[in-house]
Amino acid sequence: MFGGLKEKLQAARNRLGSSIQGSAAAQAPPAAETKPGKAPQPAASQKTPSPAAPSFTDKVKILIVDRELVVSEKDLAEALSELEMTLLECDVALQVTDAIIASVRTTLIGKHRKIGSSIDDLVVGALKSALLEVLGTGFDLVQYIKTHPHPVKILFTGVNGTGKTTTIAKIGFFLKKQGFTVVIGAGDTYRAGAIEQIGVHAERIGIKIIQHQEGADPSAVLFDTVQYAVSHKIDVVLADTAGRFHTKSNLMNQLEKIKRVMKPDLVVYVDEAVAGNDAVVRAAEFERTVGADAVVLTKADMDSRGGAAISIAHTIGKPLMFLGTGQGYDDIIPFDPVQVVEELLGSDA
Amino acid sequence: MLDNLSTSLKDALKKLAGKSVIDRAAVDELIKDLQRALISSDVNVKLVMELSKAIRTRSLDEQLPKGTNVREHVLRIVYQELVRLVWASADVKLEPQTILMAGLQGSGKTTTTAKLARYFQKKGMKTGVICADTFRPGAYDQISTLCAKINVPCFGNPQEKDALKLTREGLEALKDRELVIVDTQGRHALEADLIQEIIKINTITKATHRWLVIDAALGQQASEQARRFHEAINIDGVIITKMDGTAKGGGALSAVAETKSGIVFIGSGETIEDLERFDPDGFISRLLGMGDLKALMERAEEAIKADDVDVNAMMKGKFTLRDMYKQLEALNKMGPLKQIMGMLPMGNMELPEGVYDVTSTKMVRYRIIMDSMTAGELDDPTLINSSRMQRIARGAGSTPDEVRELIKYYKMMQRTLKGLRGGGGKFNMQRLMKRFSGMQ
Repeated sequence: MFGGLKEKLQAARNRLGSSIQGSAAAQAPPAAETKPGKAPQPAASQKTPSPAAPSFTDKVKILIVDRELVVSEKDLAEALSELEMTLLECDVALQVTDAIIASVRTTLIGKHRKIGSSIDDLVVGALKSALLEVLGTGFDLVQYIKTHPHPVKILFTGVNGTGKTTTIAKIGFFLKKQGFTVVIGAGDTYRAGAIEQIGVHAERIGIKIIQHQEGADPSAVLFDTVQYAVSHKIDVVLADTAGRFHTKSNLMNQLEKIKRVMKPDLVVYVDEAVAGNDAVVRAAEFERTVGADAVVLTKADMDSRGGAAISIAHTIGKPLMFLGTGQGYDDIIPFDPVQVVEELLGSDA
Repeated sequence: MLDNLSTSLKDALKKLAGKSVIDRAAVDELIKDLQRALISSDVNVKLVMELSKAIRTRSLDEQLPKGTNVREHVLRIVYQELVRLVWASADVKLEPQTILMAGLQGSGKTTTTAKLARYFQKKGMKTGVICADTFRPGAYDQISTLCAKINVPCFGNPQEKDALKLTREGLEALKDRELVIVDTQGRHALEADLIQEIIKINTITKATHRWLVIDAALGQQASEQARRFHEAINIDGVIITKMDGTAKGGGALSAVAETKSGIVFIGSGETIEDLERFDPDGFISRLLGMGDLKALMERAEEAIKADDVDVNAMMKGKFTLRDMYKQLEALNKMGPLKQIMGMLPMGNMELPEGVYDVTSTKMVRYRIIMDSMTAGELDDPTLINSSRMQRIARGAGSTPDEVRELIKYYKMMQRTLKGLRGGGGKFNMQRLMKRFSGMQ
């Protein structure tokens, strides 16, 4: 998963590395032998030193006195535009791409680099910190449930067809395996077949479900679910809702009502990993109207790129909790940003 | 964000507006903004690069047609290139046929199947639906509930696990139907066994059409997925769903480019009636985040014919209420005011919130009021005194205040036109709009 992004990022990183190295090699022949064996070959080893600020004399001074090199904007321009295209191709939304590029640029430009230090490390460090900054910290649901009074009420929101119902079944299964008791509220009373869908899931994974008939008030269903959980000392309430577009104010108001009535501890926003730029727009709108405490990204298995994760996390600044990776109940993995970034930019280049 | 984009696109276009010779730098800038607009609408990055290359070459190489300025010239090329992509012949014929629905999970196949059934039913076709989704719980309940609402027979069996068997039985059971739509389980291109399954379903049904359902929000992945589906079952049409959100549907553009097919339908709502035939103009406007390009050119041409508004008389300062009436009518023909304003080359002109709605409803009111005036009053508005005002207001079901406002608006227009005549021929739209908003 996210293999495409990984591949592309590594290619971009090699380019960044080589373009910095290219100018380094030209300026400082003695630096050449310090290159570690695994670093990429310099792209243009005989480039003339660029007269960009800081001036050449300054550079030489720094080079001789401090044994350091200065990275200039010109060194980076081409490689950064390459990185920009890469991120865009990976579905990172335009504005988020701009932010990441800006971050990498400010980190690298004007930086003094010790001649002995690896260029690779410098670039990887900048990219890594930019991505980590965007992805934030993960969200440990199990820990959260353990440290909060029961029942922990979790409300799932999102636009149509992102996989809320399936995700709830998966999370229910996950929590059950962790030893929690779970009840599901069938709050999607609108879409035909939705109650049957979650009913079948619940039956298969052996979780109690509270449901009314189609067309009922979802707030009432979810209120009943919470009541049931309280009286039966259930640990976790998973509340399904109908998919809705952020542009429909009546449906968003309904969601606000649900929130008022069931008072969820966590609002989880569900979106799909294959979504493009719109992911940003709707995540921001959901965050604005009903809020979101954590994000679940579904369909990560059909997406080898994973830009939506970066876009959404950057836009609403909320942690990613899970990734949905397939059609089975087991196909869900807790999201760990450090691990993902390590994997993307790992040492196996 | 997107607003910024479309304004920057408009700014880039504006720079071309007054030019009579093509300016390489300005074209390059426009292309750059165009690329950003398309990418942020989720059009595949590679496709954007190809497109912009073609647009750039054509803009610089082609002769400027007589009577057009550079801006129109470039706009037309942009429009033509985009239309060329989406406007493949995706004909929907009303004849006996089988339609196979394919798409990713959660793209809206089942809902769209029901909408299509409704669409063809309304056109008088005997329609039936087969639910070949044996995987997702509740899928059969969903489609059968929707079909029951519109009285279309739906074949399926939630207990059956073999989609191929179901399809065969379904075709047999719905033999008397002229048009059969086969709904399938959501799948993506990396699930090899499911791709095999849909290839087999396609063989069994001998489907006339194989339509790929694409979520408007689908991003860069659209190309790849469409390509794999196309390889498997030869997609001959694309349906975009969820266009009622804010997504621009650029993924669908990538998909049609990949499958060399056209966009057949657009789904834009939750009820069973919310399905439209594809309209390239609206779609492209949305992609670029700016006004309706082609429509502007065409509508403006046909709406303001020479005989509609007597320009000469107006320029002489003889502007009567009658002229204003014609003007409002002409505006009405061109569509909602907001659209017209969006189409005009005004760059990033800031308009106060709500000014569009207020002014367009006002215009309707004004026309009604003018309908209650006598011919004499229309020709010479100075005749209108307070008792006439009372009469007009009664006749139009409005208030004397509103009539007074109309007169004020008329005087303002008259002044503006005088200014137009005097001041070097520059029609100051911005000033006009400011006055518009002051009058709410």
